[in-house]
Amino acid sequence: MPVTSPARPARPASTPATAGRSCAARSRLSLLSRLSLLSLLLLLGPSPSGTLTGETRAATLPGATLTEPQAVWRAASRLGYWPSEQQVAAIRAHRGGPRGWALDEVDRAFEASRQPARVPEQLAQVNTPLPEVFAEARREREARQRVVQAAPSGAAADSSAAGAPAARMPPLPAAIAQAPAAQPASFIRASAQQAAAWRMLSCSDPSVENPLLSRMTEFWFNHLNVFVGRATVRPFTGHYAVHAIRPNVLGRFEDLLLASARHPAMLFYLDQNQNVADGTPGLQGRVRGINENYARELMELHTLGVDGGYTQQDVRELARVLTGWTVDPDAASGFRFAPRLHDGGEKTVLGRRFGGPGAAQGEREGVEAIGLLASRPATARRIALRLSRFFVADEPPRALVDRLAAEYLASNGDLRRVMRQLVASPEFWDPAHELFKTPYDFACSALGASAGNAAAGAPVAARPPAIGLALGFLAAAGQPVNGWQTPDGYGTDAATWLSPESLTRRADLAAALARGMGEPEQLLGFYDERTRERLQKVPSASRAALTLAAPDFMRK
Amino acid sequence: MNPSDENAMNDPRTFDRRRLLGGVLGGLLGGSLVAAAPRAFAQTAPLLERGRLVVVFLRGAYDGLSALVPWSDPEYAKLRPSIAIAAPDGTPSTAIELDRSFALHPALAPLLPMWRDGLLAVIPAAGSPNRTRSHFEAQHHWETGMPGQSSGAPGWLNRLAAIDPAKSGAPRLVGVGEANPHILSGPMRARLIPRGQAAARAGVIGNEVARDALLDLYSGNDRLSRAFREGVESRLMTSKELATEMVAADNGAGNPAGLVRDAQQLATLMRADPALRIGFLSAGGWDTHVNQGAATGLLANRFAALAAALAQLRTDFDRPGDLVLVFSEFGRTSAENGSRGTDHGRGNALWLIGNEVAGGRVHGRWEGLAPGNLNEGRDLPVLHDFRAVIAQPLARIFRLPERTLADLFPGAPWDAALDGLVRHG
Repeated sequence: MPVTSPARPARPASTPATAGRSCAARSRLSLLSRLSLLSLLLLLGPSPSGTLTGETRAATLPGATLTEPQAVWRAASRLGYWPSEQQVAAIRAHRGGPRGWALDEVDRAFEASRQPARVPEQLAQVNTPLPEVFAEARREREARQRVVQAAPSGAAADSSAAGAPAARMPPLPAAIAQAPAAQPASFIRASAQQAAAWRMLSCSDPSVENPLLSRMTEFWFNHLNVFVGRATVRPFTGHYAVHAIRPNVLGRFEDLLLASARHPAMLFYLDQNQNVADGTPGLQGRVRGINENYARELMELHTLGVDGGYTQQDVRELARVLTGWTVDPDAASGFRFAPRLHDGGEKTVLGRRFGGPGAAQGEREGVEAIGLLASRPATARRIALRLSRFFVADEPPRALVDRLAAEYLASNGDLRRVMRQLVASPEFWDPAHELFKTPYDFACSALGASAGNAAAGAPVAARPPAIGLALGFLAAAGQPVNGWQTPDGYGTDAATWLSPESLTRRADLAAALARGMGEPEQLLGFYDERTRERLQKVPSASRAALTLAAPDFMRK
Repeated sequence: MNPSDENAMNDPRTFDRRRLLGGVLGGLLGGSLVAAAPRAFAQTAPLLERGRLVVVFLRGAYDGLSALVPWSDPEYAKLRPSIAIAAPDGTPSTAIELDRSFALHPALAPLLPMWRDGLLAVIPAAGSPNRTRSHFEAQHHWETGMPGQSSGAPGWLNRLAAIDPAKSGAPRLVGVGEANPHILSGPMRARLIPRGQAAARAGVIGNEVARDALLDLYSGNDRLSRAFREGVESRLMTSKELATEMVAADNGAGNPAGLVRDAQQLATLMRADPALRIGFLSAGGWDTHVNQGAATGLLANRFAALAAALAQLRTDFDRPGDLVLVFSEFGRTSAENGSRGTDHGRGNALWLIGNEVAGGRVHGRWEGLAPGNLNEGRDLPVLHDFRAVIAQPLARIFRLPERTLADLFPGAPWDAALDGLVRHG
């Protein structure tokens, strides 16, 4: 497997591996990084000047490297969510240092993605077979309809009404705190709650999910976003995350796209189930036709990008190619291709012909079109850029993006190879490339860290209250789980999330989660000396909360 | 896709990009945009003392042809066999007549008093000169005021705030709902408040011991620490200002009027802190590709919530120079699509509310829906650059000098066809 060797060692041989001593060395982080980030910010405009943490760091020479604790923190916090004790031990025990560990971690996450998710019984609705989801959801809607019709004023609730998509998530999944209910009060609501709770559990408990696999699922769900607030999508989000996204996050991108394209969550979300050949007869003598919503976002967001060299005509033609791709309430896959709804005429997408003589026909047209989109250089660049932003820097170096795009093309979109290239890159380990935690990062890492040493085999039943707190925090912070309304997904950069009042709200979650938590010695080993001195001054009862609320814990 | 500007470059007042960047850099380095536009100092009364500005951004492209119905155009019903709003006949399920060409969606009835009082004006076919049909790209253009550019330039409201900073250094900008909307982002500070009750709680910060410990942890001069300290100050203010109002506002919790509550919170904060002069609200859920409904249904529900919020804003922003702007990133197709919805279009109706707005009438050009008058045969064309629309009240209510306007909206034309938009211009 071709891996670019880093220009300099990720782990300075001279640095002792004891956390305490090397923390002082961390102050070498650096005038260089400060200057380069500052100049970036100046060029970009919108952010106030200065690095996130550059307070009084001493100058270092160009070509600075991370100290050993910094490298461990980075590996664990970016390729997972926080440095758990086991993870730190594994990284330190690896002969290849943090970089060697990271390369192996990509392979471990890949292996884990091929195994079924370890979903606890309380959240088992994410595994409900699709025909059952359809049937339960239909039953529930019909029952509700009868109630509405019986009521004097028919105020049918529209769960994705104008205004506050974020605030519409059920605040706390109270239902999951109880024993697995044989007959949940609302199947649809419970599905949405369990889907969100699964995301929180899987990002915060390494005994449940490989941390990098959880990261990759977060990234690709967001890239192929669906919105739980849309009534039709609502019962499917958990299944989508666990069964369409998760198994494909380190496989071939084309397979991931196809899994998404055929899943009811996506078919409903971007109205692809409504996209039929112009002139198709509908109910009550109506005539149905093309709906270009999915085709547009498939090109603009999922693959080529808005500057990816397609036209409105291409959008229209791709929509025609995809006519007939729709949901099937009775199929295990939830998907069917309906020839009756397909536009069999000839189309041209990005210069390639579909549907005519000698070209692909029927469902094959869509499969080949998705393959064509996945294979384009513009797609490679977009994927490379987004991965680099997510894992490396808000404004990643062009050279890195170019290499990842090249790897993508050379490997036919093999996401595992692209990720191996990414974690092996010097850019990933460059001290100048700081990343600020998103609210999601913060919630997952605070959840995990506050579980203390109990992570191995921590009983899930003990966690729902904490998970509920985290979900409530995320809704208020503007990053509700599965709750972004539009298909572009959440931003992940500091410009989006670093705002004054919201920063103070992190301290509330820290305080709530830290109740009953022991002193987090293990985190302190990674903190700046100054922070540790300050934490020594506070009463020990509040030390855990303040450790999770400290500036050091806001970086990944 | 093809960011070719149609008319932006025809204007003699073209944009001097270096000048703007100089201003941005100046802002970051401790000065402000004012340094780049010294003539702004010559104003006798501070610009933003003249009135307050509230922008309501309808993300996702609302269907303007359902809001402002061209009822007497014979093409309208033909293009929209199942989603056209019925021509006004005085009954509640039909449009409400405004004049011989246009009518309001029945769910927007709460706007009618403002129209009759001459406070509400509309430009039926405004938009961006850039042709993109991507929501996200188009929203970025509207938020930076720079159509066709994907730069990370600060939002135009942020740049507007930089023209007249508060003497105390207090923020001019406030947003309710979104985590960090681009239109507010940039060197000038903004207060950003979450939706709902959470905004009113001081949380851990309300505890003095915890607060001091946190302030100690964040006592550095780095960006994160400075932001945190600002946040503490801002949050204490927010919780104090909202605490009393929340009880009343919460009566409506759970109804589709989330936007009404956002509007109330915005008004409360701007009343309590006179330095705040520029407010921002947004609402999503306008991307109605499927079953949008007509006089009732999906879109009608959203219009009802919007109308209630705008009526609320009118109550709270009724001082002489106050101004409310309502717009989306583009419009929707003139014809309905195959699933009784509408797809991404171009031109759209842009609304203004204020005492100095020459309301009660439609401004700007309108060419009807005949096939030959549509953009690419499918959408309302953009007959007025959105920046030229906004420039009218900025010049005539807020008295922004020409050169400052040119910095704010680089390359935008002055559109004399809209010269009657402001009452006392």
